[in-house]
Amino acid sequence: MLKMTHLSKVYRTEVVETYALRDFNIDVKEGEFVAVTGPSGSGKTTFLTIAGLLETFTGGEYMLDGVDVSGLNDNARSKIRNEKIGFIFQAFNLIPDLNVFDNVEVPLRYRGMKAAERKQRIMDALERVGLASRLKHYPAELSGGQQQRVAIARALAGSPRLLLADEPTGNLDTQMARGVMELLEDIHREGATIVMVTHDPELAARAQRNVHIIDGQEVDIAEEPRFQAEQAASSHG
Amino acid sequence: MDIAPIFASLHKHRTPVALIVLEIALACAVFCNAVFIIGQRVAELGMSNAIAESHLVVISVNGSNPDTARADIPRNLAALRGIPGVTGAAVMTSIPFGQSAGVDGVSTGPDSQVHPGASRYMLGEGGPRVLGLRLLKGRFFGPGEYADSTLRGGMMPNGHVVIITQSLAQRLWPSGHALGQQLWVGSEKHYAVIGVTADVARPGSSSIGRGSAHYAVFFPLAPDPAFTQYVVRSAPQNRQRVLHAAEAKLHTLAPNMVIKGQTFAQIRDQAFTATRSMAWVLVLVCLVMLTVTAFGIVGLSSFWVRQRRRQIGIRRAIGATRANILRYFQTENFLIVSLGIALGMVLSWGVNLYLMKHYELPRLPWHYLPVGALTLWLIGQLAALGPALHASRVPPVVATRSV
Repeated sequence: MLKMTHLSKVYRTEVVETYALRDFNIDVKEGEFVAVTGPSGSGKTTFLTIAGLLETFTGGEYMLDGVDVSGLNDNARSKIRNEKIGFIFQAFNLIPDLNVFDNVEVPLRYRGMKAAERKQRIMDALERVGLASRLKHYPAELSGGQQQRVAIARALAGSPRLLLADEPTGNLDTQMARGVMELLEDIHREGATIVMVTHDPELAARAQRNVHIIDGQEVDIAEEPRFQAEQAASSHG
Repeated sequence: MDIAPIFASLHKHRTPVALIVLEIALACAVFCNAVFIIGQRVAELGMSNAIAESHLVVISVNGSNPDTARADIPRNLAALRGIPGVTGAAVMTSIPFGQSAGVDGVSTGPDSQVHPGASRYMLGEGGPRVLGLRLLKGRFFGPGEYADSTLRGGMMPNGHVVIITQSLAQRLWPSGHALGQQLWVGSEKHYAVIGVTADVARPGSSSIGRGSAHYAVFFPLAPDPAFTQYVVRSAPQNRQRVLHAAEAKLHTLAPNMVIKGQTFAQIRDQAFTATRSMAWVLVLVCLVMLTVTAFGIVGLSSFWVRQRRRQIGIRRAIGATRANILRYFQTENFLIVSLGIALGMVLSWGVNLYLMKHYELPRLPWHYLPVGALTLWLIGQLAALGPALHASRVPPVVATRSV
């Protein structure tokens, strides 16, 4: 589903080159739930933005759903983002001017879908996240957990091949975070491929597989003392 | 199209939207009426005047001796006719587009309810031919009618015949039977209409309402001190030479008179100086108004693009192409401008009613409204294009940034 091979991302200024990702490799199979973990500045978010075609990469190869995305133009990348990828952001990223229904509808409109089909998908997605009764509410009228559920509904409505979640519970209290995590697990059980970026080992532990990034490279957790210490601390805490 | 969500978004920003809508409405109202008035003024510049303008020069004389004028005029005319290239010369009391020598209330009888104001042209013998009046019905004055008509009885000629313009004839006798009728001037004097000419502009007609700009009556008059205009006819290419020669000739014959010669083209040009200036001022007002409106749209659009940068990034992240973003902002602008235009149409109508009531402007023809609407739509789209292009270049990765 998602395969990066020797991928690199370099940010260049006149005086310095900074590798956000270096010789990075990952292979996510269809139906997997993968957590990408790592400390701040390790390159997790860069990985996510490249995986979601929000940014281009400098070198290497990236195959998404069997398509080499390196040569795609901006329109083609937009189309893939719209049709194959569902995003769940830490800050929810709902559009504050639009109500719940209209927020979920936005990506479907860009797909040029007919109104009747859009409505059906929106209702299905909102029922799936338990917010079918809040159609006319604006984001500011919802709790953080509810906003994240709307964001998940927006991601699900387009029936994406891949869900990318960036710290999906990072802005939520424990109870709300648990609810959102359970929802993601339910969605995964129904067959969705999910890649979740998190720095929370507890959340990462609920994924099928963890990929750890340090200094822009995938590392084996067993050989990384820092992770061992963090894991030990979290298991005792 | 994203019209419904865009309306929803605009609804959340009512105050700035209302302000820009009001600005556009005001611009629409001013623009439609100003363009209409400019059109009226431009039409006035080309006001019809059925005389041989391109053949005529006019020498105005002041300070003639009233005691000798009746003898001097035939002498002066003979001298002017002797200038090489001159094909005719005559005297008048006033000329089209020149200074008025009198306006009378005319009617079909003492009891008539219709008595429009008409300008009085008194012509010396040969005047109709020199002017090139186009007779539509009847006849010109005969030599005896000139001789019999003097001002010895007062301000009005004591003759018995007149020629009137077609517009005045239709105003007074709409059924079309002006010839042979009695034209009353005031309630005491009346004259038989012996001819109807194509429309000749009135003196000062640049400031007279369009409906009555051609209401004129021609009286025959024997040589009289009231004649202050020598009209000299020649081929157009000889005008300047004839003008200088005629001025020189009259200077020689009457050294004490103040003499000023002009071609008729110069007279027309001067008559519409104020009209032209007014038209240019209105053009300037329109340009300033539209520029201010365009800057208002640019300012608001730029502000909204900056304010919604993250929102644009989110839209890009969930699948919007650059074209989608561009179209969103252009559509948003179109909707705002359309609201402004809708309000502006009502305002235009109101402004026009006010101008009709207080400044005798005609009703605004409906086709000025779509012209105004198209202009504002175009300006709106052009003004919003820069900020919209800027918005379309916001990268999708902005959605992942917290600041």
